[in-house]
Amino acid sequence: MPLLEKYPPDSVVPVAGLDQPTWIVHRDSLKELAAELQADSASGFDLLLDLCGADFPGRPDRFEAIYHLYSVERKERLRLKVPVPEDDPVLPSLAGIWKAANWFEREAFDMFGLRFEGHKNLRRILTHEAFEGHPLRKDYDAARRWILTEDKVYRPQPRPDDGESDDDMFEQMTINIGPSHPAMHGTFRVVAHLDGEVITASEVEIGYLHRCFEKMAETHTWQQVIPYTDRLNYCSSFINNVGYCRAVESLLGVEAPPKAVWARTILSEFSRIMDHCVCNGSTLVDAGALTNFWYFFQPREEIYGLLEACSGARLTVSYCRIGGLAEDLPPDFEAHCRRLLEMIPGFMDDIERLVNKNRIWLDRSVGVAAISGEEAVNWGWTGPCLRASGVANDVRRDHPYDLYDTVDWNVPVLPGGDVYDRYRVRMLEIRESLKIIRQLLDRGMPEGPHIIDDPHIALPPKEDAYNQMEAMIYHFKLIMDGIQVPAGEVYSMVEGANGELGFYAISDGSGKPYRLKVRPPCFPIMSTFSDLIRGGTVSDAVVSLGGLNVIAGELER
Amino acid sequence: MVGESWVTTTFEKLEDWGRNNSFWPLPFGTACCAIEFMSVVSSHYDMSRFGYEVVRFSPRQSDLMIVAGTITDKMAPVLKKIYDQMPDPKWVVSMGACACSGGFYRAYHVMQGIDEIVPVDVYVPGCPPTPEGLMHGILQLKEKIERDRKRLKKAKAGSASDSDGSSAAA
Amino acid sequence: MSHPKATRPYKYSLAERLYLPLLAGLWITLKHFLRNVFRRGRSYTIQYPEERRNYSHRFRGHHILTARPDGSLRCVACFLCATACPAECITIEAGEHPDVNIEKYPVVYDIDMLRCVFCGYCVDACPEEAIIMSNNYDMAYFSRDQSIATKEELSKPYTYDASKLGYRPRYPEEEAQRAAIREGVVDLVGEARKRHHGGSEAKAS
Repeated sequence: MPLLEKYPPDSVVPVAGLDQPTWIVHRDSLKELAAELQADSASGFDLLLDLCGADFPGRPDRFEAIYHLYSVERKERLRLKVPVPEDDPVLPSLAGIWKAANWFEREAFDMFGLRFEGHKNLRRILTHEAFEGHPLRKDYDAARRWILTEDKVYRPQPRPDDGESDDDMFEQMTINIGPSHPAMHGTFRVVAHLDGEVITASEVEIGYLHRCFEKMAETHTWQQVIPYTDRLNYCSSFINNVGYCRAVESLLGVEAPPKAVWARTILSEFSRIMDHCVCNGSTLVDAGALTNFWYFFQPREEIYGLLEACSGARLTVSYCRIGGLAEDLPPDFEAHCRRLLEMIPGFMDDIERLVNKNRIWLDRSVGVAAISGEEAVNWGWTGPCLRASGVANDVRRDHPYDLYDTVDWNVPVLPGGDVYDRYRVRMLEIRESLKIIRQLLDRGMPEGPHIIDDPHIALPPKEDAYNQMEAMIYHFKLIMDGIQVPAGEVYSMVEGANGELGFYAISDGSGKPYRLKVRPPCFPIMSTFSDLIRGGTVSDAVVSLGGLNVIAGELER
Repeated sequence: MVGESWVTTTFEKLEDWGRNNSFWPLPFGTACCAIEFMSVVSSHYDMSRFGYEVVRFSPRQSDLMIVAGTITDKMAPVLKKIYDQMPDPKWVVSMGACACSGGFYRAYHVMQGIDEIVPVDVYVPGCPPTPEGLMHGILQLKEKIERDRKRLKKAKAGSASDSDGSSAAA
Repeated sequence: MSHPKATRPYKYSLAERLYLPLLAGLWITLKHFLRNVFRRGRSYTIQYPEERRNYSHRFRGHHILTARPDGSLRCVACFLCATACPAECITIEAGEHPDVNIEKYPVVYDIDMLRCVFCGYCVDACPEEAIIMSNNYDMAYFSRDQSIATKEELSKPYTYDASKLGYRPRYPEEEAQRAAIREGVVDLVGEARKRHHGGSEAKAS
C-alpha cells in the first residue's frame, strides 16, 4: 500500500466499506495516487474493474466518481470515491494509467456530464449525437427522448496515418462496417482506415442498443429489476439473475437457502455452456464454418428445455428471486440434468474433431488479434478472453461464491492470447462446467425450501396469502412498496460467461435502487477492439469480434 | 375484363405462389430476439421447411424484414435507411415486445415501437417470442398476403364487397 | 501493439499441411447426414405447425383470467398485478357492486400484449389466483389496437383446458409426478429424452 501520509491532509481518507476497503480521495490527488496504486509492485492494483458516476443532488459536492480496482496477483479489491462539485465537474483522466478507463470515462461523461481532463476523445458513447442532457442525473426524466435524424449521425474521421509516407501501390480508403452488418452482430459500427486490405486505424461506435438499464432500475422496485437483468447478457440470462440477486442479498445481509444455492450453481453452469455455444458457434460461422453452428445449437435447445421446465421461459428466465428462486424445482429436474450431461459431450467431441485441427480454421485464427496477458489486464479484461492470454483469473476460484469452492474443477488457461486460444478456452470450460454439474448432481438435491422464509423479502407462500391475514398484509406490502433494502452500497460479482460480472448497488433505504451500476465484462474488452484489429486484415477483424464474445445487451445496457 | 388475359392472370397466380413460399428474410437483429431468430433458422425449428431459409443481410435482395430486438433512437435512422433500400414489394415483421412497442423500456433512448418510422405488417408479441411464435407470425403474414391479393383482385373486378377479415388467429 | 499475426508462429504438422484432418470432419458431417436420412422418425427437426415441441406446464404464455364456479371473474380489481408489472401493461378500472358484501370487480381489464414481457409477475402478485398464464404462444397481430387483450378475450372458456395451462401458483400435475417418482414407477431420463424428440405425444392436439 502506498504511504498515505505524503498526500495533503484529508485528501485520501480510508472509510469502512461494507464489502471492500473504500477510500475517499480528493480529485487533486487522484492521478498521483492512481499511478502509485497501479505501478507499485507491492500493491499492484493492475486491473481497473469499473468506473462510474453517481448523483447526490443534496450534497455539497453533487457528483461522485467511483473507481473499483483489483489486484490480479493478490486478489484484493479497493474502491476509490472522488467527490466532484456540480459547477466544475472536472477530474483528471486516468486513461494513461489504465487503458480501461478510456471508455468508462466516456460513459461517465455521457451519463453524468463529468469531464475528464486529458481524455483524448471525450464524446458521447452510449447515447446518440442529438441527445441533450445527461440521463442518469436524478433530475433527468426517464422518458425524455431526443430524436436523431439522418443528417446528425456521427461520421467518424479515422485518425490519419502517423506521418509515414504512403508510397506503395495501395490506395488508402475508409470503409464503414455496420451497424447492420452480419459481421458486426447487428449492433456495432466500425469505421476503418485501410491501406490495401490492412487496417491502419479504426474507430468503434457503440450505443446502438443502449436500453437505459440503469435508469430503468432506478424507476422500478428491487424485485422488478430482475426481468431487466435477464436482458443484459441474453445468452446466459440466468447468470445475470444470480449476480443481481446476490448483490441485493448482500445488502440485505441474507443468504439463499441451500437448495436455491445448489440450483443456482447448476443452472449458472448450464447457462455458461449455452453462452459459450453461441459465442463459439457464431465465431465459427463468421469464419465460414456453418455446420458447427447447427451442432452447437442442439445442446443449446436442450438446455433451453431445462430452463423452460424450471422457469417457464426459454431465454429470459427471470428464475431467481432475491433470497432464492422464483419457484420450486420441477420434480424431474435431476433426471433432466443427467440427460443433458449424457448428450452434450457427444456434440462437443464432434465439433472439436471438426475444427480443432482444421487447417482453414487454424489459418484464420492462430495469431489473430493476439494480446499479451499484461496488456489485457491493463485494458480491463476478465474472463475467458483473459484466461486465453495466460492469466488465471476466475471469480469462481478467486472469490468463491455459491458452491464453487466445494467441487473439484480446473481453471483452463492457455498462453496464446489469440482467437484460436479463446475458442479453445471456451471449449475446455464447457467440459469443466459439465464436471461441476456432475459432482453437484451426485451430491443430491438439498432438502428444504427454495426461497428464504422472510416475509419482508420473499412473498409468503400463496396458500398463506389466500388464507391468513398476516401473510396477506405482507404480500400486499411487498408488492406495493417493494423490498426495503437498508441504506448502503455493495459491489458484488459473479463470473459471467465472458468475465467478471459485477453489480454495484447503492441503496438509500427505499424500495427502489438509488443507483445500480453493472460492471459489464465485455465493455472493457470491446474498448480494445480498435487496437486489436490494427495491422490485421478486414477478415481478421470479423473473426476477432466473434472471438471476444461481445454481447450488445450487456455492453450497452 | 379489359387488360386481363388468361396469360397474365395465370402468371399472377404463379407470382403469388412463388412470393408466399419463398420469402427472403432480412434479419434486422439487434438483441435477445436475434438469438431466438437463430433458433428459428437452426436445426430444431428450421425455417427452411417453409422455403424461407435464404437469409440475406443485404436489403437489396430481400423482401421480408424481421426486426428482432430493441430499436433505439440511435439505431432508428439505420433501420429507416435499410427499409428504404429494400425493393418493393416488401413486408415487415416486428418480432418481440421491444420492436412492437418498446416493451418495458419506457426510456429515454428506446423507440416506442418501430411503427414510428416503418409500416409493420405483423406484430409478434413475446419477450422474446418462442421460435414457434415467430413462425406463426410469418405464416400469418403469408395468409395476409394471399388475402390482400384476393381483395385487390375483387376490387379490380369492381366488386363492392370490402369485408376486411383481418382478424388474427390468436 | 505489433502486427497481430507476428506474435505467434504456428508449426503445422505434415497432416495439417496436407489438410488431412478435413477428412475426419467430412466423415463427421456424413455420419450426421446419414443418421438423419435413415432415422427420420428421430429427426431433430420438428414439423411445426403439425408437430409441436412439448413445453412444460410452467410455460409463460397468453394470460388467462380465471372464474369462480358461478362464472364470474375471480378478479377483485385490487391492482396488485398492475403494480407488480414492470412493463405497466395492465389497465384496470374497478367497479363497485351495489351489494357492499360482494367484492369489487373489474369493469375494464386490458393487457397490452405488445408491451407485456411475459415475466409472470402478475401471477405472483395476484392474491386471488385470478390471473394465470396459458401455454399458448401462437400470437400475432396485424395492428396495435388488435393487440389489446380485453377482459372477455382473457377469460375465453377455451383457456380452461387443463392441458393448456401454463405458469400459475399451483401445479397439480407436479404432485402426481412427485408421487410417481417416490414410488419409482417412472423412467425420468427416458421421459426427458422424449420431451425433445417429439414423437407421437408431441403432436398438436
